[in-house]
Amino acid sequence: MLIRVEGLTHVYAPSTPFERTALRDVNLEIEAGESVGIVGPTGSGKSTLVAHLAGLLTPTAGRVLMDGVDISHERPGTRVGLAFQTPEDQIFEQTVFREVAFGPRNLGLTASEIEERVDWALEMVGLDPAVIRDRVPFTLSGGEMRRVALASILAMRPVILILDEPTAGQDPQSRRELLARLRALHAQGDLALIVVSHAMEEIARLVERIVVLNEGQLVANAPTRQVLSDAELLRSVGLDVPEPTALMRALHRRGLPVRTDVISAAEAAAEIARVHLLEEAAR
Amino acid sequence: MAPFIVTQDLKHVYHLDGAGQIEALRGINLTVQRGEFVAMVGANGSGKSTLAKHLNVLLLPTSGAVWVDGLLTSDPRNLWPIRQKVGMVFQNPDNQLVATTVEEDVAFGPENLGVPPREIRQRVDEALATVGLLEVRLHPPHRLSGGQKQLVAIAGALAMRSQCLVLDEPTSMLDPLGRRQVLSTLRRLNAEEGLTILLITQSMAEAATTQRAIVLEDGRIALDGPPGEVFTQVERLRALRLDVPPMAEIAHELRRRGMPLPRAILSVEEMVRALC
Repeated sequence: MLIRVEGLTHVYAPSTPFERTALRDVNLEIEAGESVGIVGPTGSGKSTLVAHLAGLLTPTAGRVLMDGVDISHERPGTRVGLAFQTPEDQIFEQTVFREVAFGPRNLGLTASEIEERVDWALEMVGLDPAVIRDRVPFTLSGGEMRRVALASILAMRPVILILDEPTAGQDPQSRRELLARLRALHAQGDLALIVVSHAMEEIARLVERIVVLNEGQLVANAPTRQVLSDAELLRSVGLDVPEPTALMRALHRRGLPVRTDVISAAEAAAEIARVHLLEEAAR
Repeated sequence: MAPFIVTQDLKHVYHLDGAGQIEALRGINLTVQRGEFVAMVGANGSGKSTLAKHLNVLLLPTSGAVWVDGLLTSDPRNLWPIRQKVGMVFQNPDNQLVATTVEEDVAFGPENLGVPPREIRQRVDEALATVGLLEVRLHPPHRLSGGQKQLVAIAGALAMRSQCLVLDEPTSMLDPLGRRQVLSTLRRLNAEEGLTILLITQSMAEAATTQRAIVLEDGRIALDGPPGEVFTQVERLRALRLDVPPMAEIAHELRRRGMPLPRAILSVEEMVRALC
């Protein structure tokens, strides 16, 4: 087990008028190489949970184990890569190469090891190292800058990559490209992917399992399809039901014998066409 | 209807320090009628934000002209009247709130106009009641949710008696609940108060709920029409690097498989009606 969260409770500003319990007795396990989505409304505790997974906060109660070791005793360090909502805001070097090499250089790697890691990381995010390494980061497009920032994190070779709203503020094309890159990256090997997002249709294409938080409590932890097609659960915590799922439920209510555990437009179209053909044949 | 915003062959060029120039707008001819609710979409870099900034004189045309309610934006005497008429709301709610309580923030604009205190009080109360935030009027803005913060910014424009709201991706950093709060408030302000609204968004689903959708591509208007016409052009939208709303995608796919469906299907309700 890569990560085990046991009875995790976090209280901000305890014993003050601003005291707020952000997490209450959360239990969660994540295996190496898994992809997990964390969803929930604003204030549900998503960011607090993620900060704990990265070892940035100390629990009020409970503990977080990484490979069996309590991370408040031994910080996870570079094993966890954390990309905040707009990771490009953290870019500061004068060339793409220097930016991506910054972390590996601080690990004390040799020049050739650094070169190798930078090239690998840029390729992983779909950028051609030869073309982009000498560019000034601030002359890149928003989508490219975000990928450079991601490459800087990957260059540290984390075993867990945590992404907080990875596509926020990007246009649809950049969003699609980034999602495809992340899927490919995850498919490559043992990197565990943890994605925090409000965009349900997007998360549907990225993760195998979804954890739902509400008011600091874990209210669901199940395979993606099961969570996204549970309209009652999603509505009860103020999240959107994916439109294709809502359509199938509405059709089902009107008596059309369609499956309702559909989570994408392509699946919905295929299912409607299937039922339509059956009905035509019956006629 | 009377035109509220008119742009004539509007061009805007950004000059980069020693690094050439970018033509952000390449000849925009646009008329928005008073009381219209318009959505504007387009890929990053298509010119949406540049166009928006011309509407309350944060930018002036490199060439061409912009009129707001008949006032030419390039005439310096029109600067403050136009900024009073057009309220802007930006993407990041934390970057546009200035005061220590919600009601002080909403009062900030009218105070700077020199409105008498008694009238400010009335305007602030009305504006906060309109967006449903009277209960939190004494709260510090940073303790509000993202959606509530955007509603404070909208209330600020209402207290200025703005007749038009230009919103640049106001919902992109909000959760679904916050997004619904902001959109339903905009729809109500448009329907009940007759506010002219220009909503820039990356969400085709959001744009599909307005009266008119404009698609920008590379500084030009590529598509302009009712959402039912614009968002059902599936191949064209993909070529423009945009998403297709889910219902339009399903309809497109079903038509391709030979099922006859009416053209303009954008909502779940419309799709259910067409299939049942």
